[in-house]
Amino acid sequence: MNKQELFIIFLIVLSGICDTLNQLCIKSSINTIDMHVASLKKAFILVWKIAWMPLAWLAFIFSCTSLIIWLYVLSKAALSFAYTVDSMHYIFIAFASSLILKEKVEPKRWLGTILIMGGIILVTLTGAD
Amino acid sequence: MDQKGLTFKIFIFLVLNDFLETGAQSLFKTAAVSQENFHISQGHDVLIFIGHMITFPLVWLGLLAVVLIFTSWSTILSRIDLSMATPIASFSYVLVAVAAVVFFHEHVGWLRWTGILFILAGVSLVSTSAPKKQDLN
Repeated sequence: MNKQELFIIFLIVLSGICDTLNQLCIKSSINTIDMHVASLKKAFILVWKIAWMPLAWLAFIFSCTSLIIWLYVLSKAALSFAYTVDSMHYIFIAFASSLILKEKVEPKRWLGTILIMGGIILVTLTGAD
Repeated sequence: MDQKGLTFKIFIFLVLNDFLETGAQSLFKTAAVSQENFHISQGHDVLIFIGHMITFPLVWLGLLAVVLIFTSWSTILSRIDLSMATPIASFSYVLVAVAAVVFFHEHVGWLRWTGILFILAGVSLVSTSAPKKQDLN
């Protein structure tokens, strides 16, 4: 693995972290709203309520940042490489939901996480082209 | 609202979702390839890069696809459980790799395919381990 490939993987990790922060912000803002979405009208009300939360705007900023990084990654690496390695955000989300949102993570989920890690390592071995 | 089982209609939505995801990634890739030789070496290069990208209609088309994905995904999740939807949706890992081979002439060897299969299996396990109902809040 050369320096350029390492940098690309670093950027994919960075974009995965932005995605995870985005999800955490969205989930935390939705968690504060006690509402059952049973109709389209209620869905719009939910979106309207979320739009007034600073956390949701933070989520939006994280998702824009992630996209910019992602476009830069795609300009340098193969799509089949980048998209696969990007599945890393499942791992980040599993850790973050257990550590920050205090959700219970079952052994089966950790096993899945290990499989994803194994898959990413295999893809990484093939190089970024 | 009651969660119903996987119907044919929802399955079509899921497949559509996979194709939209592949479409969005292909559009982003096509736009990004034009910046192949652009390297970010200073802080303000980031702004130049953003400037290049937002003038690409393909990037906006890709974003439109992302919005459609969000809408169809929300519809899917209002009908079936996340643990049922995600394993089918993660088929996009295979579809994106096929698109990379067909549209961008990338070489995907057996090692990379094996890695993709590992990820498919992992994503399925991660999503089916989710509690059926979220009564936490």
